[in-house]
Amino acid sequence: MFDTISTLVNAFGPSGRENRVAEAITHLIKDKVDEISSDAMGNLIAVKKGFGKKIMLAAHMDEIGLIITTIDEKGFLRFGTVGGVLPLISLGQRVVFENGLTGVVWYEESIESIKDAKPEKMYIDIGAKSREHAEELVEIGDMAVFEGRPVQQNGLVISRALDDRVGCAVLAELARRCPETDHEIYYVFTVQEEVGLRGARTAAYAIRPDLALAIDVTRTADTPKSRHGAVSLGKGPAIKVKDNSVIAHPAIRERLENCARENGIPYQLEVLDKGGTDAGSIHITAGGIPSGGVSIPTRFIHSASEIVNLEDAGNALKLLETFVKL
Amino acid sequence: MECRDLLKKLCSIDAVTGREDAAAQAISGILSDYCNEVRVDAFYNVIGLKKGHGENPRNVLVTAHYDQIGLIVTGIDENGFLRFTNMGGVDPKTLAAQEVAVHGRKEIHGVIGSKPPHLTSPEDADKPVKMEDMLIDIGYDEKQARKLVSVGDVVSFKFPVLELKNNRMAGRSMDNRSSVAALVEMLKELKRIRHRDNVYAVATVQEESGLVGAFMTAWNLKPDLAIAIDVCHGDMPDAPSDESFPLGKGVAVAVGPILSRHHTRACMRLARRERIPYQVDAEEKDTGTEAAVYSSALEGIPTLLLSIPAKYMHTTVEMVSLDDIEAAARLAARYIAFRDELDQEGNSND
Repeated sequence: MFDTISTLVNAFGPSGRENRVAEAITHLIKDKVDEISSDAMGNLIAVKKGFGKKIMLAAHMDEIGLIITTIDEKGFLRFGTVGGVLPLISLGQRVVFENGLTGVVWYEESIESIKDAKPEKMYIDIGAKSREHAEELVEIGDMAVFEGRPVQQNGLVISRALDDRVGCAVLAELARRCPETDHEIYYVFTVQEEVGLRGARTAAYAIRPDLALAIDVTRTADTPKSRHGAVSLGKGPAIKVKDNSVIAHPAIRERLENCARENGIPYQLEVLDKGGTDAGSIHITAGGIPSGGVSIPTRFIHSASEIVNLEDAGNALKLLETFVKL
Repeated sequence: MECRDLLKKLCSIDAVTGREDAAAQAISGILSDYCNEVRVDAFYNVIGLKKGHGENPRNVLVTAHYDQIGLIVTGIDENGFLRFTNMGGVDPKTLAAQEVAVHGRKEIHGVIGSKPPHLTSPEDADKPVKMEDMLIDIGYDEKQARKLVSVGDVVSFKFPVLELKNNRMAGRSMDNRSSVAALVEMLKELKRIRHRDNVYAVATVQEESGLVGAFMTAWNLKPDLAIAIDVCHGDMPDAPSDESFPLGKGVAVAVGPILSRHHTRACMRLARRERIPYQVDAEEKDTGTEAAVYSSALEGIPTLLLSIPAKYMHTTVEMVSLDDIEAAARLAARYIAFRDELDQEGNSND
């Protein structure tokens, strides 16, 4: 599992620029599925044929990032955010562009308090000597993502982009295992989740599944003074009750809980008051698609150093494997 | 059943948004007395069909959401207190000292505590308490609480339906059971009038969590005309007069960019002809109601929004007037039955 996660987090893929992630996933699973193709938006859709229900499993390929809006006369890059980037935790981070160029995020030193560091008061330094020099290296509209190599330590993975490459890794591993089932399984690696659950909407419309699950990350309440729900790292995957985009269909949630209980897989329940997942756009598509979610507990979501537990990822895989066999 | 008793019965049903599964059968039972058929879809939208009598009947959709705002358990602390967050729009300042029902392994009574003034420092006395600092007390310690309650269990407010003077009723869930009552009253009225069109009377789900039921319903029924019934703000002290409407002065007919100009005008003309009291509600934005979904669903559905003024919306003391519910019901029924003849009149008068 670590190797798969590692491969996928190393791919550059901010929202709207997911093709490198799609290539990496295609390479991992193409021999194990009956069909694999990309749709007009860039969603990667792999199908394992069956005659039972159509089950859509979605994990998003995109990550948050920065987009260059202007280049000043001295060659510093001004940026906007792609997805939910927290300005304060971007400060001092290295970012990398698709062509491999590295930059550093910093702020205008005239601001009174570091709390006032808004994106418009910040810039990326790529070490360019002038605007002309910078323009040889990047152009307006180019995107950058946080640097942050994957590290394995004490059964945990610390890395950039675990949101949601860990979900992609779980789904890719599931596809590689070819779970025996009568159902038709759609492994869907979606685009543009971080900018409004956009890819999943068109994929669900095209597939019209009978039911769907989003495989994504969820925040934990196990860090000092955190009060966001009751999920901890290492206590198993979280079965979604609700987030800000969807209330899991009661029957789907129950089926997941039963799968976990009957197979001795540890699990937790996720009640998230902020943030959404692909299930949010899937469940209201085409007259309603009963949907739920399996979430990997993750610390420090949307930072360059997200943390997940490998056993949680492994148990999420087991849970999905039993779920698709039902 | 009289409208008063109907509303009381509807308000006694618990259907916290997203957990309408427990309530769908009860709603279905109420609609089935007045429909040719009733079914419940995969998301617990309750769909009643009252068939039309004419040739080439069109399909008219009339919806009122039946979900209610509530709370959901997010954690159980070491003393057995339940932490929670909101399901739908809940104002934290209305929560202290409320009585609640926790829908755990069985229904459990609880209260949301509030620190007594004797123990509150002067600096804290004026500060609003955040929802994350409030707790539900069910009387049990942690071990006992965990046997009955789990993270993810929903919580509803307990408050009796009060009959007030002047045909006013108050209680929780008047948003939007008053509109469900109007839907049923409309069906009763349609029993007395010959109508050409098929009428789909739908009690929808998850309006309070993003108009979810409306998306599904529009797609599944593909109607020719959609009428959303919901509550609007009743006139209250300090409320802006252009966004609130007096109770007892009739149904509010919404006028605005997303609403069908043709149907809105015809509907108001009918109200005047039939002497049904109405008020005009100018909605410059998308209304925030299911009408917003219908008007841009599929190829676009001509949409009307009829509203029942409700004071103190999203509290346990929401107040409505039975007269307004009846006005909404009569106007919806009569518009469905008479809209073609109105079109003919309209052509000569407009």
